[in-house]
Amino acid sequence: MIRVEGLSKRYGKLWALRGVSCSFRPGEVTALIGPNGSGKTTLIKSILGAVRPTEGKLWLGDTPIGTDPAYRARLGYMPQIGRYPDNLTIGQLLDMMQDLRGQPTGGCDDRLVSVLGIDRQLGKKLGALSGGTRQKVSAILAFRFRPEVLILDEPTAGLDPVSAESILEAVGQAVAAGVAVVITSHIMNEVEAVANRVTYLAEGRLLFSETAADLQARTQETRLSAAIAHYAKACHG
Amino acid sequence: MGKILKYSLVNLLRSRVVLAYTVCLFAITTALFALESDPSKALVSLSQVVLNVVPLVCLLFTAIQYYNSLEFTELLVVQPLRRRTILLGQLLAQWVAVSFAYLVGVVLPLSVFSPGANSVMLSASGVLLGAIGVSLGFLIALANRDKARGIGVAILLWLVFVVVYDGLLLLALLLLADYPIEPWVVPLASLNPIDLARIQVMLRIDLAAMLGYTGAVYKQFFGSLGGLLYTFGLLLVWLVWPAWVALRLFLKKDF
Repeated sequence: MIRVEGLSKRYGKLWALRGVSCSFRPGEVTALIGPNGSGKTTLIKSILGAVRPTEGKLWLGDTPIGTDPAYRARLGYMPQIGRYPDNLTIGQLLDMMQDLRGQPTGGCDDRLVSVLGIDRQLGKKLGALSGGTRQKVSAILAFRFRPEVLILDEPTAGLDPVSAESILEAVGQAVAAGVAVVITSHIMNEVEAVANRVTYLAEGRLLFSETAADLQARTQETRLSAAIAHYAKACHG
Repeated sequence: MGKILKYSLVNLLRSRVVLAYTVCLFAITTALFALESDPSKALVSLSQVVLNVVPLVCLLFTAIQYYNSLEFTELLVVQPLRRRTILLGQLLAQWVAVSFAYLVGVVLPLSVFSPGANSVMLSASGVLLGAIGVSLGFLIALANRDKARGIGVAILLWLVFVVVYDGLLLLALLLLADYPIEPWVVPLASLNPIDLARIQVMLRIDLAAMLGYTGAVYKQFFGSLGGLLYTFGLLLVWLVWPAWVALRLFLKKDF
């Protein structure tokens, strides 16, 4: 669904990404893993068009990702830290995003609104929200417009266990419906629970991109987190 | 673009800065005319306020507003919207907001207290200077990632336009008094939008005599219809080029 070819991004002297090629497939949850500063967020933002690549190409299906913004209607994005205009209420934000995108909302997202308990807080100002509630709003916006690709940047960090589980359930439903999911997380249990594929970045380079089953078979480790650690070490060699 | 304009404008009006700015302008204008029995003197005082304060407020307000609504912009750029649409919508909203404040705060009382050609000139200059401040504010904010630095640059630029540039120009005129420098006076003044507007307003209000020797050169050139068109043409250039460069920066920007 998403294809990345030879993607490089330079900030001044620093290369955030160097020649990364990978793809994210429909019906698959790809865990994007790597140490802090390894380029995960830069990769995600390149897909979103928020960061302009220095070199390389990206495709969504057959559409090259360039200056035409129409492809973004097919993406759902949940940022690591959702920041919204302080003086809007949650309800106004949801209405505004719908108006700006001009897309119908899907059925499952309205479920997410009530599951996360946001339906009772629609009148609250965004500036007065706690970090967790903000994150729930971000999650709702990501799932809301029937995306073909879901990009979740640390979706559950800082959320209560019940809400985190609801979001992971929603991820499961989306994948079953054929959505390509990209998820970054430092919580290995979570990666283990949802990911079919692990894509590992280190210092801006792609170390490996393997299915979970392959990783476990190659390293003879039953726990995915142990397999990842083992394999990453071997790749660093 | 209409939707971005609408939401940005709503956001601007909610911030109450526009309201405070409008009230201040209105208070200054009415106070000057109420305290001064001679309307033409009040007009001179008002022109000082308009020519100096309006660009500063618009410059700073725009830059601060850009930094403060950065999160909203970050949200917009990952939506299926063109970046061009996003920036032009925000720019237009800012233009509409400061022009509205100026129309209500200055133009409206002016048309009551002192209707006439001079007031028209002051009104037009003020609207244009405000809009130029907005364009430059966006440019400065986009060129400086750091908020404190951006605001510093904005204040510095204003100081240059209002004080430093004129000082240097005057110094050059003094030092080079023995040379035929008249041909350079007009082009040099054209590089400063505030000077351009000031010259036009002062010529109308007939203070050119106060400007002495350069005043005579100014009067000859800027006093004509051609000079008027030249001034407003250049002010439009000052309105467009910073906005255009800001747009280029915005299209390339990494969020």
